Amino acid sequence: MDIEREFAGYREHLLNAIRTGPRRSGCGASDPIHVFVNQRRVGLLESAGAEASLQVQSQTSIDSVQLRSEDGVLLGGLSAPEYGFRSCRIALTRAAIELRVHNTPQGGSVNAVFQPVPGFWHRARRAWSGVTDGTTAPRPLTVAGSGGRVLAFTQVLLAVTLVGLVTDRLTGWMTPASPPLSVTQTEAPWAAPLAEVTKLEQQLIELSRMQAKVVETIQTQQQGMAQIQRTMAKVSSTQETVASSVLTVKQEMEQRRKGAGRDADRMTRVLMSKALSEQEQLEAEIHSLVIANERLARERAQLEQHNQELNKRLKTAGADVSKAVVPDIEKPVMAQQGAPSTPPQVAEAKTVPQQPPFLFWVTFSEGASQDSIDQWVRDMHGRKGALSEGWQAVEIVPPAEPMERFLDRLKQTQIVKAVRVSR
Amino acid sequence: MSSIGLSHMLNRDRAMPDRMTSVGRLEEVVSTAEDFDRVVSQSLPLLLDRAAGYTKRFLRETGQWSDDVAHEKFVLRWGAEYLEQFLVSGRSEVPCRPLFLLDSMVARQHSRPEPFCYHKDLLTPLGRFLDGLVGRAAVSRDALIALYHHCYGLGPGQVITALRLNGSESPRIYKNFQRWRDAGWKRTLEDIGLTEADLKGLTEQQQHQRHRFNGEAERLLRFAQSHYRKSEPEHYPCLSRHQWEDMFLQGYGVEYRVWHLALCLDCLQTAWDLGLDGASAIEKPRMVLQLLP
Repeated sequence: MDIEREFAGYREHLLNAIRTGPRRSGCGASDPIHVFVNQRRVGLLESAGAEASLQVQSQTSIDSVQLRSEDGVLLGGLSAPEYGFRSCRIALTRAAIELRVHNTPQGGSVNAVFQPVPGFWHRARRAWSGVTDGTTAPRPLTVAGSGGRVLAFTQVLLAVTLVGLVTDRLTGWMTPASPPLSVTQTEAPWAAPLAEVTKLEQQLIELSRMQAKVVETIQTQQQGMAQIQRTMAKVSSTQETVASSVLTVKQEMEQRRKGAGRDADRMTRVLMSKALSEQEQLEAEIHSLVIANERLARERAQLEQHNQELNKRLKTAGADVSKAVVPDIEKPVMAQQGAPSTPPQVAEAKTVPQQPPFLFWVTFSEGASQDSIDQWVRDMHGRKGALSEGWQAVEIVPPAEPMERFLDRLKQTQIVKAVRVSR
Repeated sequence: MSSIGLSHMLNRDRAMPDRMTSVGRLEEVVSTAEDFDRVVSQSLPLLLDRAAGYTKRFLRETGQWSDDVAHEKFVLRWGAEYLEQFLVSGRSEVPCRPLFLLDSMVARQHSRPEPFCYHKDLLTPLGRFLDGLVGRAAVSRDALIALYHHCYGLGPGQVITALRLNGSESPRIYKNFQRWRDAGWKRTLEDIGLTEADLKGLTEQQQHQRHRFNGEAERLLRFAQSHYRKSEPEHYPCLSRHQWEDMFLQGYGVEYRVWHLALCLDCLQTAWDLGLDGASAIEKPRMVLQLLP
């Protein structure tokens, strides 16, 4: 139960402390004010009765600004926008603090200005010194300042008049009553001018009316000034917003321009390199095609030459074969005559599928005469073909024995030096 | 559930219709700072409970919660801290929906690496005293100067000597001490929820086991100092003996000395060893906790 009461009391204390707010502070107007940015202490606003300011630049974005008194009481603060400006005026007992925060992508800045609010007598004294002291340096005259001076002057005039009047009356009351005497004005200057007193009273009334009017005018002027200040503040904030927007837009445009230029350059470079590589590829392909073409042309020429050679060989081989084959054909024809009767068409069909001649190449031993060579060819029932690089082509009827044996037999021939069956 | 939590829930149930109305108002858009002040000031208990509730949830979800008075007071204290900041900063956020603005502000605080100084040992009466004192010193110059007294038993004159302050700074130190004795100490103890019974218990402990008590206090102080030193300006790190000597001899960095040495026992002892301006004539500072201002 005690714990519960203690807890409830603690909660109530905290709520009261929150309700009291900045009034909890025991600091005076002259005590410095601590400025915290993002809950870190960054500096002091030391006024000493005059205007003071503090500027803080931060490389990181500003999240919050807080003002605290020397005894740690939170006096005011501002929650900063993510980007752009925000400002506020924090009214304290005897002063006001203008806070301005500006956040950009590069960081943030805080500007705090301490503005003491001058008291009435301070203002009146200043106004009076402005009226009386002609030697003071000229200052820019504001509407509120001139109003204050007029008010102070009127008040002083009124006070002097009142003092004079009261003195005058008191002197009259304190003087013992005496019978009316016939005196001259020079002898008793206070007794005679009752009319003057009345006149003075009227003047006083007029003066107070004038003062009332002046006060009204001043109030109107002050209201007007306040309105003007509000309008000015609005205009300046709008101007700041516009300026920041323009700045942001400019930065964005520059970034975009830079970005677009960079992109275009990069694209051009990419395209150029691509085109160059394609060109190189094409050139390489063309070169390889030219080489292939030349090779093909050479091969074609060789083939044509070879073809011509083959044609020639074929022609010569055809002639030789026809020479060699004619007696052989005659023989079966003659044999046919003695053979049992087979239809002539069948006999023709048997002779038509002749085997192609067997071609081989030989080189002859040195000293072998042309006659012996020709004789050997005739013995082989073959015919000579082209002579190329010492190799003599020979076409014969395909031998019945196996190729190896046939070749061995040829090699054993005295005039044959070497034999081969392929070129 | 603790007895406090239960009774709190019962009270909450009784006040449910009022709360619903308040919540409804807080969920609506307020367009001017005056409207914000009006709406928020009518719902302070609700907002305090909400901020404290979020803090409790944070501790639960990070495995740091325990059902006891110390934890309940801890979340209430931080809830009040958040609410105070919300009241001051929220005015600049209009137009807004106050309830959601508070939620976002608390969430932003809790999203930081170390939103507050939490350690189980700092929830004992001694820990709460030191945590409250050092935490206050991070935002209050009076409490900061008072740390020299509470931790090392230094008076204003000794502080001026130790920090090698000049004539213009001296009156300010005396003023800080005076204001702390007048109101600061009492308010800080009330704000951290330390009762007279707690204080009496601490005094008895100190009398009976002085050496052990101060040893424990030094351990906790170092822990709290290392956390709250982060609220100093970023350019106030620990310095070497040579750098401190240079600073003292050249006479610059008055704020540096005042803030850093109050929040760093090691640097204070290093600076003390320099023996400038007769500081070495006084005994080297060591933790001798002073409970009273």
